[in-house]
Amino acid sequence: MKKIAIGAIAALMLTTAAQAADKKIGATVSSLEFTFIAVMAKGMTDHTGKLPGVKLQLEDAKNDVANQLSQVQNFIASGVDAIVVNAVDTSATQAMTDAAAKAKIPLVYVNRQPINIDTLPDGQAFVASNEVDSGTLQTKEVCRILKEKGKGKGANIVVLVGELSNQAAVQRTKDIHDVIATPDCSFMKVVEEQTGGWKRDAGQDIVTNWISKGVKFDAIIANNDDMALGAVNALKKNGISTKDIPVSGIDATQEALKAMQDGDLAVTVFQDAVGQGAGSIDTALNILAGKKVEKKVYIPFQLVTPANLKDYLAKN
Amino acid sequence: MTDASAVMGQMDKPRRKPWPAELNALIGLVVIMAIFEIVGWSLVGQSFLMNKLRLSIMITQVAVVGILAVGVTQVIISGGIDLSGGSIIGASAMIAMSFAQVGTNPRAIFAAQGLVDLPILFPILVGLSVALIGGLINGALIAYVKLPPFIATLGMMVSARGVALWYTKGQPISFPTNEFMALGDGLMPVWIFIGVAALFSLIMKYTVYGKHTYAIGSNEASARMSGINVERHLMLVYVIAALLAGLAGLVLTARAQTAQPVFGTMNELDAIAMAVIGGVSLSGGRGSILGTALGMLIFGVIFSGFIFLSVDAYYQNMVKGAIIVGAVALDQWRQKRQAMEA
Repeated sequence: MKKIAIGAIAALMLTTAAQAADKKIGATVSSLEFTFIAVMAKGMTDHTGKLPGVKLQLEDAKNDVANQLSQVQNFIASGVDAIVVNAVDTSATQAMTDAAAKAKIPLVYVNRQPINIDTLPDGQAFVASNEVDSGTLQTKEVCRILKEKGKGKGANIVVLVGELSNQAAVQRTKDIHDVIATPDCSFMKVVEEQTGGWKRDAGQDIVTNWISKGVKFDAIIANNDDMALGAVNALKKNGISTKDIPVSGIDATQEALKAMQDGDLAVTVFQDAVGQGAGSIDTALNILAGKKVEKKVYIPFQLVTPANLKDYLAKN
Repeated sequence: MTDASAVMGQMDKPRRKPWPAELNALIGLVVIMAIFEIVGWSLVGQSFLMNKLRLSIMITQVAVVGILAVGVTQVIISGGIDLSGGSIIGASAMIAMSFAQVGTNPRAIFAAQGLVDLPILFPILVGLSVALIGGLINGALIAYVKLPPFIATLGMMVSARGVALWYTKGQPISFPTNEFMALGDGLMPVWIFIGVAALFSLIMKYTVYGKHTYAIGSNEASARMSGINVERHLMLVYVIAALLAGLAGLVLTARAQTAQPVFGTMNELDAIAMAVIGGVSLSGGRGSILGTALGMLIFGVIFSGFIFLSVDAYYQNMVKGAIIVGAVALDQWRQKRQAMEA
């Protein structure tokens, strides 16, 4: 059985090798069961579909590190021109980097930052959205809204932080403080900051506690949409209009977009899965074409507000 | 485990009225509230307690874990432990929510089957059934396969979390019907907690079920000799614990208006801590629902108190841990002193 299978694979390899002019890219993603990854993978296939002479072979690692490594080794054995990896485990990327470097095949990591990011050899790169952007975009927009509301002389901000052990929570919170430190937005002042562990009920409880204390705030900035929606609940339950207090989150989840449609959520931030997928293919092709490629290629986060909401309703 | 003679000794007319464990929790609660009140006046310049909204959120934010803790309390009194509650919350919340979705959401899980906009009874029964299955497995493994409760419920803790994650492959479920949301709206979680706590307080005190639970927890061998069907009773204890976890899951998901696979993570430990702070002995046979309710209030007061004083969450956990350990240490010391006096 095994021999027949190997024979079949060898035959397949020969036929693909015959189409010599084509560029063949092998991509392996962590798991198609995650919506975000599935959308990103679709971004890869749709994008290559539009590029003549580029073929994509997409594999699902099914969240198995060993599986993914052998997929990469199979790509190398079958002579692909470039490899795209959305790592199952970001701390297990060195082996894939070594294998591709040895075979002199370009390798592009996408979405999940590999642990060896600082030592990636030539011909390898990382494509993702820069976490610094999400919190920055969000806070700048809140800053703009507050100025528009005539609160540019001084405004109190309360912050809901995600899980303390999570890098994204730490980074997004730092972004908020960094934006507030700029002269443009220095009229904003963080008066309260608590962790809600990404959870909606915690967001609601914490904001209710703040209201009970009589904390005066002009805007709520949350590290994710769920806590922001909890905050919206707390405001409404206590008779505070979400028109007066802009609430902002990150993720652009379906519910968040619905809340924005209802006028309850002022700001959220969209992570572009399709853009990351397409960007990883482009980066691989750029390396193949001998162009100079940055080690970190950033696909921008996108700000979602009521003004451009309709562009995002069908995206996530 | 308390030995039989000590139980008998307590049943004899005591020379001195024993200091009830609940009193410790009550004193602890009052002391903690007083500290926040005093510090509040000096640092924040306002009263901590004379605030209707704060008083209500103090209880509301811990009511869901409180419901779970009632079930856990009777398990601990029976001499066992239940680590699976938090995961059963997750599993029942996810599966129940999938039957509570509105039809206007085109991505509703069972939209294709037309199982949307269902009457509230439907998700409630589904959620409780999920919990019931978990409880039956727990009970059977402990009572009949004779696994230690720690191991059996640890297995369930891992497996039920697996179910919660598997059900939608990690995706959250949202957009419940208004009717379902009402289950967690406003003070509803508190009323449900009070109902459950009052009911089980009476059951534990005045019914055969309660008396047998204490008897098994005090001394399983003598309970068996006195004719109690220990296996059947333990089965019931774990089923009830799981059903209350399922109920907690329903209330939580209705309150959050969304179900996420991680719901309830670590809640089992908070529930056990509430019971222990309230004077429920981990060696079984001692404790009460009232004590657990007081333990729950201590948690709620601390949570609100720290936000009130704008203290970092880091310190919150450190203090919580210290209070749990302190409460048990105090209880041990009190028990030893009583034993010496007797």
